[in-house]
Amino acid sequence: MSGLVARLRLAAPAALVPLGAVVVALLVGAVVMAVAGVDPLRGYDAMVRGALSVSNIDFAVASFTAILAMSLAFAVPARMGEYNLGGDGQLALGGISAAVVALYLPAPAIVLLPVCLVAGALGGAALASVSAPLSTRAGVPVIISTLLLSAPAVALTSYLVRFPLAERGSAVPQTSRLPDAAHLPSFPGTSYTNAGLVVVVLVLLLAVRVDSRTPVGYEIRVAGANRGFAAYGGLSVPRLTLGTLVAAGAVAGLAGAIIVMSQPFRFIDDALTAPGYTFAGIAAALLAGGRPALLPLTAALFTVLTVGSAGMERDVDVPRQLGQVLQAVVILVLALRVLAARWVARRARDAVGGKV
Amino acid sequence: MDVFTLAFVAAVLTSSAPVLFAALGSALCGRAGVFNIALEGQLLCGAFTAVAVSWWTGSAWAGVAAAVVTTTVFSGVLALGAVSWRADPIIVAVGMNLLALGLTGFLLRELLDATGTFAPTGLAGLPDLDVFDGIPVLGALLGGQTLLVPLALLLAVAASLWLNRTSTGLRLRGVGEHPEAAASLGVSVTRYQHVTVLLAGALCGLGGAQLSLGNVTAFTENMTAGRGWVAVAAVMLAANRPLLVLGACLLFGAAEAWGFRLQGVGLPQQLTDAAPYLVTLIVLVASRLRVRRRLRDVDPVAAVSAAHPEAVVHPEETR
Amino acid sequence: MTDLHPDDARPAAGADTPAAELRGITKRFGPVLAVDGVDLVLERGTVHAVVGENGAGKSTLMSVLYGLQRPDAGAVLRNGRELRLRSPLDAIDAGLGMVHQHFRLFGSLTVAENVVYRAEPGRWGVYDRRAAEQRVTELAGRFGLDVDPSARVDTLPLGVRQRVEILKALHRQAEVLILDEPTAVLTPGEVDSLFAVVRSMAAQGTTVALVTHKVREVLEATDRVTVLRDGVVSARLETARTTAGEIVEAMIGRGLKPAVNPRGAVSGEPVLEVSDLRLAAAPGAAGVHGVSLQVRPGEVVGIAGVSGNGQREVVESVLGLRSPDGGSVLLHGQDLAGLGVRERRGRGIAYVPEDRPGMGTAASLSVADNLALGHHRTPPLGSRARLSPRAVRAQAGELVRRLGVKTAGVNAPLASLSGGNAQKVVLARELHHEAPLLVVEQPTQGVDVGAGEEIHRLLLDYRARGGAVLLVSYEISELRALADRVLVMLDGVVTADLDAADATEEVLGAAMVHATRPDDGSSRAGS
Repeated sequence: MSGLVARLRLAAPAALVPLGAVVVALLVGAVVMAVAGVDPLRGYDAMVRGALSVSNIDFAVASFTAILAMSLAFAVPARMGEYNLGGDGQLALGGISAAVVALYLPAPAIVLLPVCLVAGALGGAALASVSAPLSTRAGVPVIISTLLLSAPAVALTSYLVRFPLAERGSAVPQTSRLPDAAHLPSFPGTSYTNAGLVVVVLVLLLAVRVDSRTPVGYEIRVAGANRGFAAYGGLSVPRLTLGTLVAAGAVAGLAGAIIVMSQPFRFIDDALTAPGYTFAGIAAALLAGGRPALLPLTAALFTVLTVGSAGMERDVDVPRQLGQVLQAVVILVLALRVLAARWVARRARDAVGGKV
Repeated sequence: MDVFTLAFVAAVLTSSAPVLFAALGSALCGRAGVFNIALEGQLLCGAFTAVAVSWWTGSAWAGVAAAVVTTTVFSGVLALGAVSWRADPIIVAVGMNLLALGLTGFLLRELLDATGTFAPTGLAGLPDLDVFDGIPVLGALLGGQTLLVPLALLLAVAASLWLNRTSTGLRLRGVGEHPEAAASLGVSVTRYQHVTVLLAGALCGLGGAQLSLGNVTAFTENMTAGRGWVAVAAVMLAANRPLLVLGACLLFGAAEAWGFRLQGVGLPQQLTDAAPYLVTLIVLVASRLRVRRRLRDVDPVAAVSAAHPEAVVHPEETR
Repeated sequence: MTDLHPDDARPAAGADTPAAELRGITKRFGPVLAVDGVDLVLERGTVHAVVGENGAGKSTLMSVLYGLQRPDAGAVLRNGRELRLRSPLDAIDAGLGMVHQHFRLFGSLTVAENVVYRAEPGRWGVYDRRAAEQRVTELAGRFGLDVDPSARVDTLPLGVRQRVEILKALHRQAEVLILDEPTAVLTPGEVDSLFAVVRSMAAQGTTVALVTHKVREVLEATDRVTVLRDGVVSARLETARTTAGEIVEAMIGRGLKPAVNPRGAVSGEPVLEVSDLRLAAAPGAAGVHGVSLQVRPGEVVGIAGVSGNGQREVVESVLGLRSPDGGSVLLHGQDLAGLGVRERRGRGIAYVPEDRPGMGTAASLSVADNLALGHHRTPPLGSRARLSPRAVRAQAGELVRRLGVKTAGVNAPLASLSGGNAQKVVLARELHHEAPLLVVEQPTQGVDVGAGEEIHRLLLDYRARGGAVLLVSYEISELRALADRVLVMLDGVVTADLDAADATEEVLGAAMVHATRPDDGSSRAGS
């Protein structure tokens, strides 16, 4: 099949860019470590062990759950060309919603677990949904409104856990421990990794299916490629925008719910946003490009960077912020993906030959 | 409530200054057709460099100079990525913001041996102005400020004059509005865009320095805390016009200063912190709605795509 | 600042040396020979018409003269000296100016700012607004161009914007001015004043090359005529001694082509019925003031007219992209009021829009995805809840084969296709609906000649199958090739409703610029 060969030849450079981005980032990290007086091999070894060693993997998988969810929260609206940078706010609102339901709704686990998860999803979705009419009716770009809404939302949860919902007698700004019925069941032998991972993976499978095998997924891609083309085809851009943002906010809120329903089973101020799940998710989504099925892979990579950099800090005394630096380098190199895309377009044109 | 005292206005000016520097830079970029939202990262870069160099040299002004140089170099990432290579300026900006956050945190540990906050005794901050002492109103407004605060106000006026009253300003506006037309008359679109992006970098350097050596005398990890995004909103609100940018930034500063006042009355800090963002967003929505209504009357199809400002405009690719 | 246009600055070339000259220009685009060994002499102080049908090579020739295209062979001379034109900037330096069909103006800047851009008066980098406005007033006064130098360009009608373009060239001391299809965007009154300006410029020594395909304009405004046909010069004429008939014959060849368009078998009730459609005029647009039309099965109804006279508004009202202020749109007798684009398309309207990159396609999506829009919720591609990527690709492969679209594969991005092939993709998608009504705007715009013919054949095949076509075109030759009936729109009203047989170039051309039916062009030339 010469057609298949031609397709591969055209697709190869596009696939090389993400790989190249990771390689460049690792090299930059090595140089930074060398300058800081640390053997890069030792540094990366410490990073990998910090995430994947037997004692750390349990926590790493829990982080992976959150990062995977946050990568979806960015990737879904990105499919139609909108950037959701308000993940922190959606995550925090989801977490606090789930915590409130768990604390005030006396119900058995079979009821409380799904209700809490749904409450979290609704909390995140509610915040994200505000950005849709702001974009389609008022013309405020999603990237701006999600960001500007995120800070107040985080501040609101911070206020709630310090005052109305604060645990009595505690110096830490946090809620009381959630009742046992709201604890997500762990896998045997784990304490952090729990049913939340299953929930997020199911959501991912759903997203992949919607993206590739439903008319709505196709319409989202069309709207992302060209708004005018979408309007011409009779698609409702406002409705698609609302849909993708609600979905994105729901996944982020779900992640927040899962975090508070896991060890240590409370909403602690800053605990959801400080680890940088949102930006790790953004980096993972950008690295996966337009292929949601690759998200688990890229999310795993950034989990190692995020969780592992803490281990690196402990073991070889390289500041954990190196993880963020590496993520940033990956994003910057990926921004040059367009160069590869232009190159592919030119190749395809040449393949047809003699363009007029 | 003593909202309209001179002391309050002075507090507004202090709060506005860093945002104003960044917003002016971004507005000039917008005029040149480059979407520059990497402000958060550039402010952070400036703030860190200013503190570090001030600490090493003992001179706050050396810190300011270094902040300008470093941030200008840093803005070269946007110039190369979004102008030369035509990458998506939004993704470049997200990368730059994250890079600045990570790198300043990293260097804070490695170079200054601090975690979280660096505020040693003996760190030289920018001196307060004393030339206005004794002058009735000016003395109260600018007496406790650094030189950078009146400079920011002057720069807003200067940027406006430059755009509207000079030949290069005219050419810059043409480049952003219709690059093909500018190129067809022999103006180098990429050169104008490069210079403007670097200039915005220098301005962000000043803004960062004012934040870390003026508003406070310290560097804290992620100390910009969304100010770069407020600047982006201000630029959008002002439709890239420098004098309106000044107004929008003062509005932000007022919300922040007012928030501090409310804390004094016992309102929790977490809620007053949110005020600047919400005020900015609400004003932005209100103003865009008005623009939108006008646009829809003229062209419904254009109104659909108006939510997506052309990221970077480039001259037609020559075959 | 000294006068930028001094008469005594003319080079000392002899009075009979042509202001500009093209010698043996040949230019090919891929396999297509656009111009082949063309000579053109522009004498000083004359208005020279360069005429020909679409695709005859006029635009290519002028692009070569202005440095936009480099010729494969031949030379460009100015005052007898050969020029090396690497870009239009060299052409500007050599005293050439060009007013493009699509203006290159800065909408938010004033007239004066546009005119002096990059040649601003002033000292120490300060832009001297008063000097610039004075300069514009002075230039405008000299050539009878009526403009307000301090007005923002985007508030001005197209005719005035064109004057700004002319002033731009004059400010840069252009002595040879190329006007590319300048009347395409003008109202009749504006056309008259443009020609007065052209006359005034020629009288003051400026040489004007007027590119057009409208015979009327040639007769009205020029001294000499060079006619191009299929990339070669088919006639060189003096306007005073020629007739419309002679020019038309040179343009389209000896022995008028037989009507390529045998009448369709029009039958039955109208598919589309538009009655008394009304839309308020928005700034810069004509609005629609009581337009009615019908399209029957097996019929192509053409809408002729200069761009911007309400055609776009009519089409968008039919499609549901715009809601009219009054009147009705009926499809098979059913009122479409209140229905959105999707519902209307579902009821049987296919649409090939004028704006192919902005509306008709998505450049970054694959050919297959571009072919699926509108078919993606129905079998065999999918249903409300399901879409089969395999079926999408299979159908795309089938359509690409059937219409002979040249592409690296159905997964290649649409951006990799040439204009003609991209247009075939749009047509393939829309024809595949087998909808009873097809609305087509400018179907062969930006399409090479060969693909243009194929596209015309596809449209005629669709008509032969009983399809109803509403065709908007600014090309009279295209309307003559396709339409059974031609309506002419001017300022938002239908000014003529002609049977194809009566819709000659002259009659259509006249109706496009005058509300009343004018004299026959040929009789005017004879007088």
